[in-house]
Amino acid sequence: MAEKPIQGEKRAFMTGNEVVAWAALAAGADIMYGYPITPQNEIMHYWTRLAPKYGRSFLQTEDEISAGFTCVGGVLAGKRAFTATAGPGNTLMQESMSMAEMMRLPTVLVVCQRGGPSTATVIYSQQEVTMTCFGGNGEGFRIVYSTSGQQDLFDYTIKAFNTAWKYRFPTFVLGDGYQSKMRESVTIYDPEARGIKMVPTEPYVGKSGMPGVDRDPSHLRNTYNMEDELYEVVMEIKKEYERVAPEIVEYQEFDTEDAEVLVVAHGVVSRAVQGAVKALRKEGIKAGHFRPITLRPFPVEQLKAAAGKAKNVLIVESSVGQLEKIVKHSVYGLTTPITNYFKPGEGVTVEEVVEQVRRLV
Amino acid sequence: MGKYVKLALAGEGGQGVQSVAGIITEAAYEEGHEALYIPNFGVEQRGGVSVAYVQIADEPIGSPKFKTADIVIALSDRAVRRTKKYVGPKTLFVYDANIQGVENDLPTNAAKILAIPAIKVAKEELHPRVFNIVIMGAVIGATQVVTVEKAKAAIEKKLGYKFEQDPKLRELNFKALERGIELVQGQV
Repeated sequence: MAEKPIQGEKRAFMTGNEVVAWAALAAGADIMYGYPITPQNEIMHYWTRLAPKYGRSFLQTEDEISAGFTCVGGVLAGKRAFTATAGPGNTLMQESMSMAEMMRLPTVLVVCQRGGPSTATVIYSQQEVTMTCFGGNGEGFRIVYSTSGQQDLFDYTIKAFNTAWKYRFPTFVLGDGYQSKMRESVTIYDPEARGIKMVPTEPYVGKSGMPGVDRDPSHLRNTYNMEDELYEVVMEIKKEYERVAPEIVEYQEFDTEDAEVLVVAHGVVSRAVQGAVKALRKEGIKAGHFRPITLRPFPVEQLKAAAGKAKNVLIVESSVGQLEKIVKHSVYGLTTPITNYFKPGEGVTVEEVVEQVRRLV
Repeated sequence: MGKYVKLALAGEGGQGVQSVAGIITEAAYEEGHEALYIPNFGVEQRGGVSVAYVQIADEPIGSPKFKTADIVIALSDRAVRRTKKYVGPKTLFVYDANIQGVENDLPTNAAKILAIPAIKVAKEELHPRVFNIVIMGAVIGATQVVTVEKAKAAIEKKLGYKFEQDPKLRELNFKALERGIELVQGQV
């Protein structure tokens, strides 16, 4: 057995892509399936450099459709498998991820959002929210963590494997090009050193014993002949998803207690919003920030409570309302006015958020 | 309020601005500061202006990009035009004195504009290849974001493998760093 990739804890100065590779190693991932696309490439590069040293594997496939499905196959074989992609690659992977949803397979997919529809830019956006949360045919019964920087990428990549294998829903780490390419400090660690136990994996196929005699038979289907048969399965998945959602939901609140303007933002944008809240508070403006960490399932009750106390809700995102749609759906019935500041494919700065909030008070 | 410096460095692909940004932030991190570096990545490698955004602070840093920089360094005519938008009334704008025909493109709202002969110094006194290290020296001289010792340690870390093969390169790089610092001395 090769030694642990990370002993205890250590500080490092890394790009987000490097962080993801280290986190997957630390989490005990067995194999990455991948196809190159900017800004995700270096996850593959670092993984291929590091994995052989620790007895892990890598398969480069011919495209993202294949990377997604081989990842599904790896999971069926009981491997802690993952893949990573961005933009058009995310589009192609939705097919395999909706299969994972139907079959309750714990796939892990790291998304490094890039800008725009089609090939567009290789840089940055928050325009893959809808697709990552609800893409593919089906209902979007999946788990999506939106990270805001290197520490999140490390923590939530590890967590994604555990969430996926514990609840058996496809799990996504939704980063972006900025996080992929920027360098900042991070504490990397061996999960065990922090008391994090990795959920054991097990194969779905080729299990020992006689099916129906020694164990339940594996019932692996993604095709159904009858409407009512499908209805039952989907409703069962729905029931289970709703049951576990409260355990999975995560969010952060910054100065929301007495906030008159509540700024809702996720991912890297929440960093600008936090900076803005700090600056506004110094001016005596009561601003607060609500950051959903899980975009799916969404922290509905928590946001309702925070938004209900405010005089205004401002949604800030680097897309045209992909977060807003989820927010409005979640707080339906709320009378607090909701406005927005959308910058599709462009980063948001502290100064801009300050200006937008000032406009409201 | 502790240290907080925002830098935008821009040049033509191949001029080494990304390397400089990498080395500076690495040095700042080693010195115990929070540092964040993000390149403007896209098709710059295939011919375009390459921009590096650097932030160094004593507290965790917010958004990776920013509107107004404390210091903007532009190393080509296109870089001068491209980076004007990061200039505000408190910005120090540094450009290479060798750049021709940008008189009308220089920002008008900067706190100070400084033309430094980095390209000339690198070419005539040192070696054209250490041009970016001269610039790195200028940045450090202008901002004191990191100490000379840490800057040297970071250069060593990045280029040490080359220095092993040819120790003269170490001397050349360190000299370039010091000349860079000298170029801005007394001017900022």
